[in-house]
Amino acid sequence: MGQLKYGTDHDFLKVKTRKLTPFRVIIFFLLIIIAVFQIFPLIWLVDFSLAKDGDLFGPRILIWPDKPQFENYKIAMIDGKIPHYLLNSIIVNVISVSLTVLFSVTMAYAFTRMQWKFKNICFTLILLGMMIPIHATLLPNFTSFRFLGISNSYLGLIIPYIAFTLPLGTFIMTGFIKSIPRSIEESILIDGGGIFHIIFYVIFPLTKPAVITVIIMTFFTTWNDFIMAATYLTSDKFRTLPFAVYNFAGQYASRYAVQFAVMTLVALPSLILYIILNEHITKGITVGAIKG
Amino acid sequence: MHSFLQNRKIIFMLVFPGFAIFVFAVLFPIGLSIYYGMTDWSGIGSLNFIGQENFKNVLQDGVFWISLKNAAALAFFTVILQHPLALIFALLLDRVGGKSEKFFRTVFFIPCIISIIVTSKMWVNIYNSQYGLLNKVLELLNLGFLKQQWLGDPDIVLFSVILIMMWQGFGWALLIYYAGIKGLPEDVYEAARIDGANSFQTLFKITVPLLKPVIMVNVIWAVISSLKQMETIYLTTNGGPGNASQFLANYLYIKAFNSYEYGYGNAISVLFVIVCLITVLLLNRVFKTEEY
Repeated sequence: MGQLKYGTDHDFLKVKTRKLTPFRVIIFFLLIIIAVFQIFPLIWLVDFSLAKDGDLFGPRILIWPDKPQFENYKIAMIDGKIPHYLLNSIIVNVISVSLTVLFSVTMAYAFTRMQWKFKNICFTLILLGMMIPIHATLLPNFTSFRFLGISNSYLGLIIPYIAFTLPLGTFIMTGFIKSIPRSIEESILIDGGGIFHIIFYVIFPLTKPAVITVIIMTFFTTWNDFIMAATYLTSDKFRTLPFAVYNFAGQYASRYAVQFAVMTLVALPSLILYIILNEHITKGITVGAIKG
Repeated sequence: MHSFLQNRKIIFMLVFPGFAIFVFAVLFPIGLSIYYGMTDWSGIGSLNFIGQENFKNVLQDGVFWISLKNAAALAFFTVILQHPLALIFALLLDRVGGKSEKFFRTVFFIPCIISIIVTSKMWVNIYNSQYGLLNKVLELLNLGFLKQQWLGDPDIVLFSVILIMMWQGFGWALLIYYAGIKGLPEDVYEAARIDGANSFQTLFKITVPLLKPVIMVNVIWAVISSLKQMETIYLTTNGGPGNASQFLANYLYIKAFNSYEYGYGNAISVLFVIVCLITVLLLNRVFKTEEY
């Protein structure tokens, strides 16, 4: 696949006009219908998170609260322990994503460039890892993590997060490293540089698009994970952002507006990140998907 | 150069950390599952070795087959509804150009980046029969007779959860097709234009055939992820009512942690991995023979 072009007319139906033809009106109409279907549930959620609990039982599908109930967000923040969970999420994700990227690059380098005996077997096993569903490992990992005592630390999440994002990361990186000419590495070796120089000064800069893809794919998988965090961790001390919603559902069962406020707050960080890094994320995902 | 590429110490340094984590949290658990699958362990207390009994029982367990049937239903509807729609809207989106193209692309993808616990709990509220958005919208459209117990009626619950998953996955499918369209070579269209092909000829004779690899990859991916569904189910219906919306990953989880049949749950895990691997192999075979 060639360079991806965004925001340009690709002209697949060979009509190049930007004028408001009837055909374009129909296209916009259809796009708006789907956009409403995709986004309206979220608007509904935010709308009623600012209402009173009872307002939800009224006949209206959206309301304009006389007085927005910001109180809901205050309760959500404090009783939902949002700052606590957010901090945990950040710690776990920064470590998992950095290590996944580092290991993906080093492993991919060993698989594409180095010559060793068990290379093919190891690579096949890694590829196999992309097909193994995480859910099939929930029960045995639950047992072994408890046995080893890592379920009472951040490691209980960091280890499985790396393990499950590494195969795709390695796969994407091998594809990219293959396309780098070897001559640069040869000249570094001649100049007396070592593997450290090659990885950090040649491979990382030259595979930047792939590295960004791996970061994005890994981050969204681990940031939004709920089931591994629910299964492996024994202590609330290390739990991550999705738990704010989970805890609240029972505790505040009839306080719908407060529940909606928690959900909005939990959705917010990745939404903000997506809006800010929109172009990078779109490009990163498509590069990964097309290559993969 | 040659000695560098075969330097065992460097190879070990590059491969070991990542590979060890991968083996520890992905491969080793599968082995552990096979072991526990051959026991009658409840999760606590004593453990007896009972050989293949669990595996035989799983294969005769009606719920195991219901779960597979539900996954097949999800895959079917994703492929015949979500994917054609995603492809059509990717083509339409490509025609828009400029800021509105970027805007719609962003909006369509938003549900994909929001934490699954938020979207699942949000849909539970949308489907609620007393205050839910869906029944209210139906009433507003004078379609009140269509109001349902969306998650409570065993006859429709599967379609309700399939709708959630299609809603959340739509942006992903669309983005992959969109990237595929953006990567198509311009000169073919130039040639078609010179030859006087009309819009529909261009679409069906050029665009769709050229997109075939992307369509295939996307469809394979959809089928596999249908099989791996869990979180949405766990957080909405937990497979119920009865087992009407049960999926394999959720079933093994319930067996181990709610019914205290940990050994049996592990036997399901092992068969789950086998089902996934067989599906991947079959799809790859179909894919390869289709291509040439």
